Amino acid sequence: MGFGDELIHDRELFSCLSCYACSNLCPSDVDYPVFTQKVRNLASGEGEHGDCAHSGTLLSIMRLTSRSDIKQKRLDWLDGLHTSEKSEVLYFAGCAPYFEPVFEDIEVSPVNIARNSIKVLNALGIEPMVLPNERCCGHDLLWTGDVETFKKLAQFNAQMIKESGAKKIVFSCPEGYRTFKLDYPNYVDLGCDVQHVSELLAEKIGQNGVKFKEIKKKVTYQDPCRLGRHLGIYEPPREIIKAIPGIELVEMEHSGDESICCGTSVWTNCSSYSKQIREERLLEARATGADMLITACPKCQIHFKCAMVDKGAEKGPDIKMEVMDLVNLVANAMET
Amino acid sequence: MEEIKTGVYICHCGLNIAGTVNVEEVARYAGTLPNVVVARDYRYMCSDPGQALIKDDIKNLGLNRVVVASCSPRMHEPTFRRACQDAGLNPYLFEHANIREHCSWVHDDRQIATEKAKDLVRAAVRRVFYNEPLEIKERPLNPNVLVVGGGIAGIQAALDIANGEHRVYLVEKEPAIGGHMAQLDRTFPTLDCSECILTPKMTEVGQHPFITLLAYSEVEEVAGSVGNFKVRVKKKARYVDEEKCTGCGVCEEKCPWKVDSEYEVGMGKRGVVYVPFAQAIPHVATIDKERCVYFLKGKCRACEKFCDAKAIDFEQKDEIVELEVGSIILTTGYDVFDSRRIPQYGYGRYDNVLTGLEFERMTCAAGPTGGKVLLKDGRQPESVAIIHCVGSRDENYHEYCSRVCCMYALKYAHLIKENTQAEVYQMYIDMRCFGEGFEEFYRRVCDEGVNFIRGKVAKVTDVALTEGEQGKLAVIAEDTLLGGIIRVPVDMVILCPALEARFGAEDVAKLFTINRRADGFFMERHVKLDPVATATEGVYIAGCCEGPKDIPDTVAQASAAAAKALSVISRGRVVIEPTTAQVNEVLCQACGRCEEICDFHAPKVISKDGLRVSSVDAALCKGCGACAVVCPTGAMSVRHSTREQINGMVEALLEV
Ligand SMILES: Cc1cc2nc3c(=O)[nH]c(=O)nc-3n(C[C@H](O)[C@H](O)[C@H](O)COP(=O)(O)OP(=O)(O)OC[C@H]3O[C@@H](n4cnc5c(N)ncnc54)[C@H](O)[C@@H]3O)c2cc1C
Ligand code: SF4
Repeated sequence: MGFGDELIHDRELFSCLSCYACSNLCPSDVDYPVFTQKVRNLASGEGEHGDCAHSGTLLSIMRLTSRSDIKQKRLDWLDGLHTSEKSEVLYFAGCAPYFEPVFEDIEVSPVNIARNSIKVLNALGIEPMVLPNERCCGHDLLWTGDVETFKKLAQFNAQMIKESGAKKIVFSCPEGYRTFKLDYPNYVDLGCDVQHVSELLAEKIGQNGVKFKEIKKKVTYQDPCRLGRHLGIYEPPREIIKAIPGIELVEMEHSGDESICCGTSVWTNCSSYSKQIREERLLEARATGADMLITACPKCQIHFKCAMVDKGAEKGPDIKMEVMDLVNLVANAMET
Repeated sequence: MEEIKTGVYICHCGLNIAGTVNVEEVARYAGTLPNVVVARDYRYMCSDPGQALIKDDIKNLGLNRVVVASCSPRMHEPTFRRACQDAGLNPYLFEHANIREHCSWVHDDRQIATEKAKDLVRAAVRRVFYNEPLEIKERPLNPNVLVVGGGIAGIQAALDIANGEHRVYLVEKEPAIGGHMAQLDRTFPTLDCSECILTPKMTEVGQHPFITLLAYSEVEEVAGSVGNFKVRVKKKARYVDEEKCTGCGVCEEKCPWKVDSEYEVGMGKRGVVYVPFAQAIPHVATIDKERCVYFLKGKCRACEKFCDAKAIDFEQKDEIVELEVGSIILTTGYDVFDSRRIPQYGYGRYDNVLTGLEFERMTCAAGPTGGKVLLKDGRQPESVAIIHCVGSRDENYHEYCSRVCCMYALKYAHLIKENTQAEVYQMYIDMRCFGEGFEEFYRRVCDEGVNFIRGKVAKVTDVALTEGEQGKLAVIAEDTLLGGIIRVPVDMVILCPALEARFGAEDVAKLFTINRRADGFFMERHVKLDPVATATEGVYIAGCCEGPKDIPDTVAQASAAAAKALSVISRGRVVIEPTTAQVNEVLCQACGRCEEICDFHAPKVISKDGLRVSSVDAALCKGCGACAVVCPTGAMSVRHSTREQINGMVEALLEV
């Protein structure tokens, strides 16, 4: 592509959130995020990776799962849930078990989302498979330019899934979902369907005798970029929320395809701008008068909660509010 | 980016490494790693020819990164950094892999050890790739010195430094200085009177224009680092105005309440308001608040009425003194082992079982018996047993030898012989008389007709089995030279209890960020080669806080510590390690977590061009990395331990 050094070594290259807000507006339909992804791949070859948050731990873990002989102990959280060794449905837990200890201090529990996903599937009469040696989906590596490792991970996962005999993979994480749905086909053949848990739920509401108890709350919904603009899934989460009696859903000033990102992607270049985006988004959410902000992506939750616990936040505007994952909300409503 | 050219050097360390690790194979392997242009193995990399290899390669091959795989960085990192620097390479472009302590010394399987050495070298090669040149800076230093503990060690160190005309703050927690030496009667092996040699030194401390004595004080907080420590000292209220008090002692005389004197180890009494002993420096009274009837019940104030100097001040408050010093010498001394912990020796149960310190007071002319060796009932003893190694050389208590008891036991034997007609029995395990004049003193005491019984005492009892034991204490021991159990009836038993680490030594160690050994004493930086320095730059130790020792060794160590402090002072500047935290201002969101976690108050969230960001004070930063760990965005990192360097190593170790 013949880029000059400036572009490749420009640190702003890693600031793009790949949120698709630009392409959404672009009259010529330029796919700017994918362009960024490709340039980052070139930059990665030159040793550029952007400034990585959390001391790079998370990306290191992801790269480590690309070792062929890695032995993981990643299923302890399944204790007491119904899963099966052979099932048509496979639940892809993704990074939840690895994120868990990192975000303990800001009280985000990705494993809880995974547990509740299984509970919800169980309530729908599904006892899914969960694979003990699942690899990272590779989303963050692909978007930081490390295509080599991404390919390895995709191959491992594809082979494992083929061997498992699954017909459908269900995700609670929009990033894993996007990666399997839009990126894997460029490199591997999965030979099965993929679905976000919200889509599955939306289909099944009313069937199987799923009943929700009343939750008296006013809530608003944050469209995760991957689920929304990347994959066009806006309605299923809203249908589910509305199906819970007592809940009033109110929209923020920017919602749907105009929704605003949570401010950081792929753990990279998380800057004071990121924080500003979060603050503004949380102010929008609070302006709706909602008691709670629902999201469908664990990373959105991590980023919003992080902004709220900042010591500096006390000096800025009041942005505190309850944040909850969609799956957790559904699981709460199902509890008898 | 400039091309990275790494040189790798694998050291044999004689057979220390080469005996277990196939060093040639590791060198060959290192040669295949990315960016490595030369890999060699050599018998002793730290030797001059070893260092010359590195220097020549830097010059001839244009190396810009160097890895040495050898001993621990603690040992030789400075050596190799210097070699790099001599050849014009920034010392931070050097990386040390430890294949001795971390590998050859802890494994015996050659195959596995060799593989591990390769892993360690691979990690170091990956790390050094990310190393960056750093600049070493210097800053001026505060020449003042803090000495903590006013025993003979602290006194000696303070005088040495003050005589060089540098300010010394001497902090002593008790009302007067002198420590244990002030309680001793005569000192082995020359038998000079302790008081006679100590008092002039104490007086000199009290009057020295360069010594600020803070008695009855304790250090509460220490911040900063070598050259620039900030210290908070609490000067406890004496309820007596030090300026006005003449030390006349009338208050103590008039105080209607008497309690056990610490100085006389319970063998004498003192007033609740008291001057600890006749030669006490500072020579002023102190009210023992815990036991003062006015403080307890609100009535008395007898001392106040009789004080002509109007020095009594019941309203006095603790005072906080802030000091700025460049170095610190710890001379907090020892505690005497509590002989009650060995109940079979009867201390505390039998009147005539004494400890060494009690006997010191007894033979002292100014002591509670006026220097006479007397039994509780006032008779002179006809026989005395001296029991060695009480709590020392005993796996149940302290494994170490306390080093002074054999000698003071001989001293006691001599003094008893001099003052009484008594038979004296030394019950010893081994006689350890290693110092100057010690063996000669031992001979002398032998010739005075003292009985030496080699064997550990099992028990002291007042249950008489024979006529001869009636009214006496029977000492039961195994005589290992005769090979039998013996019972020796005596009138008096003197125990020689161990010297042990001070109660509270752990807190002192924490306060000054130094380490302790397994035996509880403060740990020196290197047992042989750096015995008065500690793990913390600018903090030195001397005397019995470092381990049991006699006065000559204590004084020698104190002067050594003073010399260390003086050498820092005469250099005039301190090096600032460049390995401090740094902020990437673009990533910083001013969340303030770094500010919260840092024990040294180095990071602060400030306003800069309207943007709130964290900023690190390099002078305060110790490079511990706590902030880098809590920073959520990766804005904070520690130079020379950046995420690229650490994660690079981890990934190389796991071979990604
Ligand atoms: C029974 C007996 C007999 C001995 N006879 C001899 C002898 O004949 N000849 C000989 O050479 N040696 C003898 N010794 C050994 C001698 O006592 C020591 O070598 C010497 O006292 C060590 O001095 P020092 O200053 O290190 O410790 P210490 O004398 O213990 O002094 C330490 C000082 O530090 C103060 N201090 C402690 N902690 C703090 C704190 N946190 N803050 C402020 N101040 C603090 C204490 O109050 C004390 O004043 C004998 C020891 C014993 C037990
Ligand atoms: S100096 Fe003598 S008495 Fe003291 S512990 Fe050592 S051997 Fe025992």
